[in-house]
Amino acid sequence: MNKETFLTELRTRLEGLPETELNKSIDFYSEMIDDRLDDGLSEEEAVAALGDLKDITDHILEDVPLGKIVKEKVRKVKSGRGLRPWEIVLIVLGSPVWLPIALSLSIVALVLFIVFYLLYWVIILVFYIVDLCFALGGVAGIVCGVVAMAKGMAPYGFMLFGCGLFLGGLSIPFFFFCNIVAKGMIGLSKLITKGIKNLFIGRKKKGEQQ
Amino acid sequence: MENQMKRGLLDVCVLAAIKDADSYGYQIIKDMSPYVEISESTLYPILRRLEAGALLTVRSEEYNGRLRKYYHITPEGLKRIETFKEEWKEIMMIYEFVTKEGKKDE
Repeated sequence: MNKETFLTELRTRLEGLPETELNKSIDFYSEMIDDRLDDGLSEEEAVAALGDLKDITDHILEDVPLGKIVKEKVRKVKSGRGLRPWEIVLIVLGSPVWLPIALSLSIVALVLFIVFYLLYWVIILVFYIVDLCFALGGVAGIVCGVVAMAKGMAPYGFMLFGCGLFLGGLSIPFFFFCNIVAKGMIGLSKLITKGIKNLFIGRKKKGEQQ
Repeated sequence: MENQMKRGLLDVCVLAAIKDADSYGYQIIKDMSPYVEISESTLYPILRRLEAGALLTVRSEEYNGRLRKYYHITPEGLKRIETFKEEWKEIMMIYEFVTKEGKKDE
């Protein structure tokens, strides 16, 4: 691949990023190729030395906040071609039909998004709360057990004491299990964010796997 | 190596590469290469991040009929290197402790 093909390909893949962001990336990689050419490499070698294109775009996307990408998308859609007169007439006349549908659809989408988002963190929270209950139940069992034994209800107190120990003990490994779950959920959310970013960025070529 | 840790380490490496004199992308990679392998795709987000955090500034200068970006370290950037050195002493102590324990086990 020569320099021009590489830069065009990079631009295609990053399409949808804010213009300044996109140009900065292109400038950086263009400079890198030029410096290698000055170093005596051929154009092909210089481009090959930069590594995999997918790797490059992934790294660039990683540091651009999702909000910025979505904003740019909205701006692009808005600044698209103007509406023709008959389209405006249709939109106005059709508003009793499409307005309620569009409204309800966007509300449903918003609610689904919020529910999904909350659910995500509630799952993690629930694990830790369960763990806390184990620990508290353990302490309560031990204390009540001791009190019951002191009051002369030895078998009953002994059982309570044992249950307390069991629960308290369980809370310790369960805590580490909670950490694993939380870590996994956070990793998953990163993957989802990356997936959403990829939806917005780049013109997909036919038949290409993203 | 843990990703987060490596990220922080590379940030400091890049700052160290421009500590004594302003430098440009390809030179930074070449200067670092005897010590750590770093690719353009890794370097680019690091430079952006450091610029956003005001640890370095960027200026364009003409070279060979084209523009080249030179990176200049700020006082905050220098401070970051100093903090890293301090923190590293602590990490070396931990390393010593960990390896010492290892020998006892054998």
